[in-house]
Amino acid sequence: MTDPGRVSSRTESTRVPVARAGNAGHWRRHGRALATWGVLLMAALAWLGAEFALGQATLVATYTIAGLGVIIIVGQAGQIVLGQGAFVALGAYAQALLVHAGVPALAALPLAAAVGALGGALASLPAGRLGGLYFGMSTLAFALIVEEGLVRWESLTQGAAGMLVPAFALGGWRADTPLAQAGVSLAAVLVAFGLCARLLRSRIGRAWQAVREDEAAAAACGIAPAAAKLRAFVVGGSLSGLAGGLYAHWIGFISPEQFGLVFSFELLMLAFIGGARQLAGAAWGALVVVAMPQAIAVLRDTLPGDWARAAGLELVLFGAVIVAVILLRPQGLARAP
Amino acid sequence: MLSLLQVLSSGIAIGCVYGLVALSFVLIYKATATVSFMQGDLLMVGGFAGLALHLAAGWPLAFAVLGAVLAVALLGAGLERVVLRRALGQPHLVAVLLTFGLGMMLRGGVASVPAAAQDMYRLPFATDTVALGALVVAASHLWVVCATVVLMLLLAAFFHFSRAGLALRACAEDARMAALMGVPVARMHTLAWALGAGLAAVAGLLLAPITFVHLNMGFIALKAFPAAVLGGLSSLPGALAGGIFIGVVEAMAGLLLPEGAKDVVPYVLLMAALLLFPQGLGGGRLGGGGR
Repeated sequence: MTDPGRVSSRTESTRVPVARAGNAGHWRRHGRALATWGVLLMAALAWLGAEFALGQATLVATYTIAGLGVIIIVGQAGQIVLGQGAFVALGAYAQALLVHAGVPALAALPLAAAVGALGGALASLPAGRLGGLYFGMSTLAFALIVEEGLVRWESLTQGAAGMLVPAFALGGWRADTPLAQAGVSLAAVLVAFGLCARLLRSRIGRAWQAVREDEAAAAACGIAPAAAKLRAFVVGGSLSGLAGGLYAHWIGFISPEQFGLVFSFELLMLAFIGGARQLAGAAWGALVVVAMPQAIAVLRDTLPGDWARAAGLELVLFGAVIVAVILLRPQGLARAP
Repeated sequence: MLSLLQVLSSGIAIGCVYGLVALSFVLIYKATATVSFMQGDLLMVGGFAGLALHLAAGWPLAFAVLGAVLAVALLGAGLERVVLRRALGQPHLVAVLLTFGLGMMLRGGVASVPAAAQDMYRLPFATDTVALGALVVAASHLWVVCATVVLMLLLAAFFHFSRAGLALRACAEDARMAALMGVPVARMHTLAWALGAGLAAVAGLLLAPITFVHLNMGFIALKAFPAAVLGGLSSLPGALAGGIFIGVVEAMAGLLLPEGAKDVVPYVLLMAALLLFPQGLGGGRLGGGGR
């Protein structure tokens, strides 16, 4: 192995796959991915019309950021999270309240992410010593508490009636056209991807992977598994909080029920469909999760007979997609690098 | 004092339902290492199956109830054979998503029946009240408690004295070892799912006179998770005790705490229990019967 990209210190030798590809290969791969997504966006613009396609692109980008949080927790650190929707909700409500209080939207976003991170830490704390399924239980309980809290704390959140959120504003400029919104969310996605990729190559990211593969071995190598897991939930929570902050602006109206259990499972499904082992999985999963309700609606309209109009068909199809994906493509859509 | 007793009795009754669902969850989890997120949907299907057999098909109530439980048990066994078997040995999340998806399909399937989607129904039994001295108890609550006690005794007998029950316990203890001892492990998994689904259906039928039968009655199964965790996630009597505890505390919270606290209390208890009693409230000592 006389690859010039390879550094000879021991800690660096775990980087072989990255190092072998070299910096040039790295950028070529990124370039190809960006090109693929660019082509997809162009096709959508041509096919669906600019306004609709840009709106959907905004949604896909926002879901991607939220999904990155799941991918960090589930795919990288190998833990279970069943209440990711709550972190998004916390971010969304934090953003809405801060903007209403007069904080500039751009300054509020990091705070929304911080609230999401705090949520991640709180949700995972009770199960910190136990791990595994207990993380699922405690995050699920946390999500149900948050949802109920948002409904009941009416003086702050206006309860189940929900609250309006003003458009994303930056100085005098307001992101109220689909193009501007898509631009802001694409920029946010790129930043989130960059940060995550950097994090995964760092000590923290390697600790996650080590804990995922074998906790005892990781501990024997001097990694503190409990701390690594907590960090995963903090980072995952902050990403979802950031997504929530953006989502609040795009939708313009938030209510507790939007972020319920079904949303949490949608995000889990997103990670599974895309493939939780790669960051790129978040984008592919988001595309499918955003497109699916529309595809189902189209399918419903084309199916003959009255039974297709029945209320339950959508649920059946949605459930069938989950089952089919889990059974047929357990590795997800994104290819292994 | 009387109102306290009144609240207590209804708390115990609803707690028994939580406990039964938690029991079905823990049974499946212990025997097959599969986390089931569809117990609530099985519960709902059980309620509707009883309803359909009694009201639509005209069976006598007792037969309809028995038929509904058997049908849902068969459904559980069938799903295990066809789908859930694939989740064996995979990360927990695979089973969680699979069962969530299947649960959605069940809910959607029931919702496609127009008569089921629109109304709330009541199974015509246990609609009156019983006076025990000064205490007035809903007959449905008494039914729940009695049925739970009988079921527990039956289950304990099954796990201790029958060949299949012993095999199931061996399988839950150590599947590899059980296989080496000649236990048909795959068949035991099917049996565990049939039992778990059947128990959920029983819970649904017992719930029918209390909360009516409707499409979203399955959400009550979420309260079974705190119950299971309080029981330590591995003990069947612990799950039942956890359920009753949750039911009672919840009823008390409804009486003493401000509105809305009642719905949060079980989940706060779950998080507190994980923090303070990670082995469950019994610390493993409760786990005699179904282990």
